[in-house]
Amino acid sequence: MSEIVLETDKLNKSFKLGGREVHALSNVSLQVKRGEFVSIMGPSGSGKTTLLNMLGCLDRPTQGVVAIDGVDITKVPEKKLFEIRRNKVGFIFQNFNLLPYLNAIENVELPLESIGKSKEERRTRAQELLKTVGLSGREDHRPNRLSAGEQQRVAIARALANNPAIVLADEPTGNLDQKTGLEIVRLLGRLCVDQGTTIVMVTHDSRMASETGRILALSDGKLLVKEKEGHLMTDKATKCSACGRELPDDAEFCPRCGKKL
Amino acid sequence: MGVFTRALRNISRKKLRTLLVVIALGFSMAIMVSIPSGILANQTSTEQLIGNFDTTITNLEAEINKTLTLVECSISSGFTEQRGPSGGFQPPGGFDPGNMPGLMTRSVTYLNESTITDIVAIEGVKDIVAIIEKTEGTNQTIQTPRGTFQILVPDYTIVGVPLNSSLIDNYAFLPTNIVEGRNLLEGDSMVVLLSLNNTEYFGVGVGGSVDILGASFTVIGIYEPSDSQEATNLYMSLTDAQTITDLSGKLSRLEVYAVDQSHVDVIVNQIEQLYPEFTLTTYETRLAQLERQQEMYATTLENAQATLSQTQTVAYQEIGIAVVATSLIVLFIMLYTVRERTHEIGIFKAIGFSNGNIMSQFMLEGILMSVIAGVVGVAIGVIAAPLLSSLLLPSATRFTSNSPGMNSPGIGTNLLGIPFTSAMTASLNPQLIFLAFGAMVLLGALGSLYPAWRASRTSPMEALKYE
Ligand SMILES: Nc1ncnc2c1ncn2[C@@H]1O[C@H](COP(=O)(O)OP(=O)(O)O)[C@@H](O)[C@H]1O
Ligand SMILES: [Mg+2]
Repeated sequence: MSEIVLETDKLNKSFKLGGREVHALSNVSLQVKRGEFVSIMGPSGSGKTTLLNMLGCLDRPTQGVVAIDGVDITKVPEKKLFEIRRNKVGFIFQNFNLLPYLNAIENVELPLESIGKSKEERRTRAQELLKTVGLSGREDHRPNRLSAGEQQRVAIARALANNPAIVLADEPTGNLDQKTGLEIVRLLGRLCVDQGTTIVMVTHDSRMASETGRILALSDGKLLVKEKEGHLMTDKATKCSACGRELPDDAEFCPRCGKKL
Repeated sequence: MGVFTRALRNISRKKLRTLLVVIALGFSMAIMVSIPSGILANQTSTEQLIGNFDTTITNLEAEINKTLTLVECSISSGFTEQRGPSGGFQPPGGFDPGNMPGLMTRSVTYLNESTITDIVAIEGVKDIVAIIEKTEGTNQTIQTPRGTFQILVPDYTIVGVPLNSSLIDNYAFLPTNIVEGRNLLEGDSMVVLLSLNNTEYFGVGVGGSVDILGASFTVIGIYEPSDSQEATNLYMSLTDAQTITDLSGKLSRLEVYAVDQSHVDVIVNQIEQLYPEFTLTTYETRLAQLERQQEMYATTLENAQATLSQTQTVAYQEIGIAVVATSLIVLFIMLYTVRERTHEIGIFKAIGFSNGNIMSQFMLEGILMSVIAGVVGVAIGVIAAPLLSSLLLPSATRFTSNSPGMNSPGIGTNLLGIPFTSAMTASLNPQLIFLAFGAMVLLGALGSLYPAWRASRTSPMEALKYE
């Protein structure tokens, strides 16, 4: 199954800054298949966040097409954009963006509330999600009683709540130490494999990017690398013994079939 | 966890802010309930004033009509000075007794029954109602700058009237409002008609017997007095009254009725010639009295209405200020809240909340705050309504203290029945509380409208960048 779930065509975004136009994105065309775990790398200011905002309908492109799950969102009226965000996209942020006055499970329940799930359904689903991210028993804890890694896990559970077609993660490990960051990226990788979630992750850490199935490089608003599946450092590529997929050097499991290595 | 719980949690998160806002709004609300209740109280008492005024005028007119042909004859009573070394009275203090007035005692002068014969002979006289009155009570001395007076504190006043059925039918000298038993009739003897006040004083009812100046009378009926003057009067036949008071052949007053109004002047002239010492009261003097009273009433009423409308104007202004203040307080506090939670709005939008979801979240918080403020406001209002309305509304005391001629008999008493200022302290009525509560919630919603709308329109990308 190589269905395209996310696609952009000649995407352009420019900002007007004091009369001067800043081209944050220039002719970005990319495709993401269902179940893929893609990372976007690039130096600071290269347009990674801008791109992710376009993909997630938080902002609108100046030009070009963005299609999620077959819907051209540039044609969706402003007032209906929330429906795309609600049903098709899950966000994970660098600073977690949990609501401090809600506990873990209440944070996870929020998106479920927006799609009108009953109290019981919300509770059951949120509990399930917290279990998936390894936070069973921490339901009642507010963000200030959770470690940074745990907070990001809650955020991941929240992003998954409405079964989005795509999860967009903007530097999800940026506020975490290396070890915790890796744990989070591996959790994302496992979700990708176990649940078929499509993930696009922005990072400027090649260590994190190497955990993903494909790396896209952004520089100055332009997409640089669009070659073969794999990562940028594939000179001594290892392959998954089960499915034959090319693997990053230090991968602990295969991002495609999930086989532990 | 729904939108409501979240609103509650947000409100309780900022305790101090909520407290301050709730107190501020609470006072607004208290003003909104107290002032209209003060106004309502004023309105009620002014309406009562107008009602009483009308009744009094009607009563007076009825009285005038009955007395068109009446000439009242009496000899004015007054105080006479008792002085001299053997007077028995020593003025207090070290004053020179020569310069100090002596004890002033009230002297009552009676007319002789024989005068009837002379007056009845005057041309144009139709009937004469001869009346005797004697007040029984205890003497009391009072000091005034003008001297020391001995006054009588009445227990009851014996009123002797002619029990002649044609006189009774044609002229109003007997009380009309009989509440028990019957009125006096021609031929009644050794029976008495008591006022409600008398029955209390004597402790008897209809059919009982009562001892008056040593004679035993049967209580034939009880009436309700129409004014305070009448309240202590007890009525019996003229002869009985003259006998028990040892005033045989004496009268207090003659009510002389002319055949028609045109004869009144002639009759007055004739009586004046015959008895220069008589004090004569006719319809004309009554009319003048009435007109004075009418004027006085009109002025009082005008004052009342002027003050009422002045009070209302002030009240409307104050309520207007309270309304504007309430909306502004909610507006600013909600604008501040929305700004403070911009980042949170970004999160909600990213998660998939619609503009409507976000708008209702903030609207609900604003409304919830004003509901809490409403409850607090009712509490403040209930406790402080009289204080607030007397602080915020112009005083209306002049109606009780300064009304001209309020003590004139028969009129003042009616008016004095409604103390204007005490009506101001009337309790809050539930309808008003309900109304003000509704207004509060409405204003809360109104004040939150713009901030909530702004919140809902925030760009998610900008909001997420906001720290
Ligand atoms: N709202 C904005 N207004 C003006 N310029 C912006 C805005 N957002 C981003 N930019 C500019 O667009 C470029 C890309 O920014 P961004 O996407 O945040 O980069 P990255 O996430 O890769 O660090 C930068 O030059 C930045 O200054
Ligand atoms: Mg960025």
